[in-house]
Amino acid sequence: MSAEPTGLRVEGLSCRRSGRWILDRVSFELRPGEIVAVIGPNGAGKTTLLEAVVGIQRPAAGRVSFGGRALRRLGERARVFSFMPDDAEPPAEVSVAALLDHAVRYGRPPPGLAEALRKGLDLQPLLRARGGELSRGERRRVALFAALCTSRPVVVLDEPLGTFDPLQLLAIPEVLRDRARAGASLLLSVHQMSDAEKIADRLLLLRAGRVVAAGTLDELRWAAGRSGGTLEQVFLALLQAEQARSEHARP
Amino acid sequence: MLARELAIALRSRLAWLQAALSALLIGHGFVLAVDLYSAGARSAQAGTLMAREFDPLLGIVRPTLGGLYLAVSLLGPLVAARPLAIEKERRTFHALLLQTASPARLTGAKLLGALLSAGLQLVAPVLLLLLWLALGGHLALGETLVPLAGHAFYILLIAALGTACAAWTRSLAQAATTALVLVAASWAIDAAEGFAALAWLGRAFDWSVTTHLGPLEHGVAALDAGLWMLCAAGGLFAAAWIGVRSEGAPVRRGLALAAVLAGTAGACALAHRLPWRFDLTEAHRQSLPPAAVAGLRALGGPLRIEVYLDSDDARRRQLEADVLAKLRLARPDLRVEDPLDGREAPAEGERDEGYGRLVLHVGAKHVETYSTSRRELVTLLFEAAGRPPPDWQQPEYPGYPLVIAGRARTALLLLAYAGLPGTLLLLGWLVTRSKRRS
Repeated sequence: MSAEPTGLRVEGLSCRRSGRWILDRVSFELRPGEIVAVIGPNGAGKTTLLEAVVGIQRPAAGRVSFGGRALRRLGERARVFSFMPDDAEPPAEVSVAALLDHAVRYGRPPPGLAEALRKGLDLQPLLRARGGELSRGERRRVALFAALCTSRPVVVLDEPLGTFDPLQLLAIPEVLRDRARAGASLLLSVHQMSDAEKIADRLLLLRAGRVVAAGTLDELRWAAGRSGGTLEQVFLALLQAEQARSEHARP
Repeated sequence: MLARELAIALRSRLAWLQAALSALLIGHGFVLAVDLYSAGARSAQAGTLMAREFDPLLGIVRPTLGGLYLAVSLLGPLVAARPLAIEKERRTFHALLLQTASPARLTGAKLLGALLSAGLQLVAPVLLLLLWLALGGHLALGETLVPLAGHAFYILLIAALGTACAAWTRSLAQAATTALVLVAASWAIDAAEGFAALAWLGRAFDWSVTTHLGPLEHGVAALDAGLWMLCAAGGLFAAAWIGVRSEGAPVRRGLALAAVLAGTAGACALAHRLPWRFDLTEAHRQSLPPAAVAGLRALGGPLRIEVYLDSDDARRRQLEADVLAKLRLARPDLRVEDPLDGREAPAEGERDEGYGRLVLHVGAKHVETYSTSRRELVTLLFEAAGRPPPDWQQPEYPGYPLVIAGRARTALLLLAYAGLPGTLLLLGWLVTRSKRRS
């Protein structure tokens, strides 16, 4: 007998745009407290996958469910997901304090979480500034707060680590891990392999909208036929093997 | 969400810039109106014109609000579309929708932001009318509030239009352009009156905003006009709500939009049929003499008038404004029929002998006339009913001639062209300036 499904399950998700398959039958699971990073070359479909999971993109086929229940309507998805889009700019006219209050009001976080995130993301000095006065990294910290400060079980973050300097890259992953330790599931798209290696429990490697490999770093190493190496080396090996297979299959 | 939307609306440089530009346009209209009024008032003092001809509603309030109408029509769509459109441009829209989990609440908040942004344009006319009072001018409260309320409804309509256009497009430029095209469509209907190439639009006259603003601008509290604008704004809000809801197949959303627009058209058509209008002008200037009103109300049986005039005939418009509108104030149940509206436009010289006649029915009796004189027609209605003609004594409207000259005019010029737009710009700068730490 199979166990009762508890986390997020994505089955056969496909998206088509302008006659081209952007996602092709993507399936994976995300368990409570787990961090899954979606990696892949540019144009692999990472952002489309995240947007299709939260319901921004209309999939041509496939199913997204949580706890065994399909998520179809906005209300159902809103009870499950909190989302941070890539390159989103907080409203230039609104103060950071108002933006954080707004996030707390609608995120309904558990007690202490807002304060912990405010501290962890170092937002106190920014409270009086307005969205339009923030640097790119500051904007990203505010957006991260808005997405993470929630009691919703799945947090979906598109490129959460892309704009930070090395010093911040020491602190931010810890903030994300804290959320996962508290029970939230995190689905991230990550461009830098070194960042993904640092933070993810499991990885989902996409190429041209299809899943090339999925699993822990060790499982990816095994799939690539390597006993060691960094994620970047494994990533390249897997992509080259996939490319060779595709060329071999071509008549 | 309110604090967020207030900030987006009122800390926007665009909103304050449009308010300042609008103030300049309205101020110019106000100065021209005051100059014309003053020139006429000088003649009244010289005895060549009667003092009672000096009506501040028509001489000052309407021209000032004319500038507001133009400014709201041209600049309003841009600022009204902005609160929602920038969320799409900044890629925060979907995250916000997911966060709030309520398309209705999000649409409502954005409409409020649009209303506040566009509503800044009301500041200038209100202050200029207060300035008119301060300079010794006269304004009757009721007849001034009615047109102001009419233009507030129009601002609500533009706010809803901007929000709806933003909900169905991807950028501020697309939303503002779409909204401006729709505003221009309303103007095209107005232009149909004097432009042969657009004559086919004449049938859509009831869909022009100015048709509904007209009675309100004359100090007549027309429930049909107010409700028409509220229904149109409500329909546009519903259209925006469907646009904001991102779920559902495009065809399904398109069908839902079509259903909402059809429902709105039906509701507007019903609202337009409401007969209740109240003359709130001082001395009831928009009404027939009190004895005629009382007599008409006491006439038994239904009143019906057949008008044998083509829709593009200037006499018909004059009859509508000068006689029928006043008759409806006295008898909201008056039925007016235009039997010629259904026929093909006749060539020049082909109109029959009966063209131009009016058939007045009072109960089972009727009389015919070719006159479009107000007094003549009312008298004929009484004759048809077998009653003596009423006393035609109109209550005395004293008129309020006023000459604004010298220092007062200089002060007015400074305030209208520099003080008010400059103050709005300064306020905008204070509200929007950066306070960022170094």
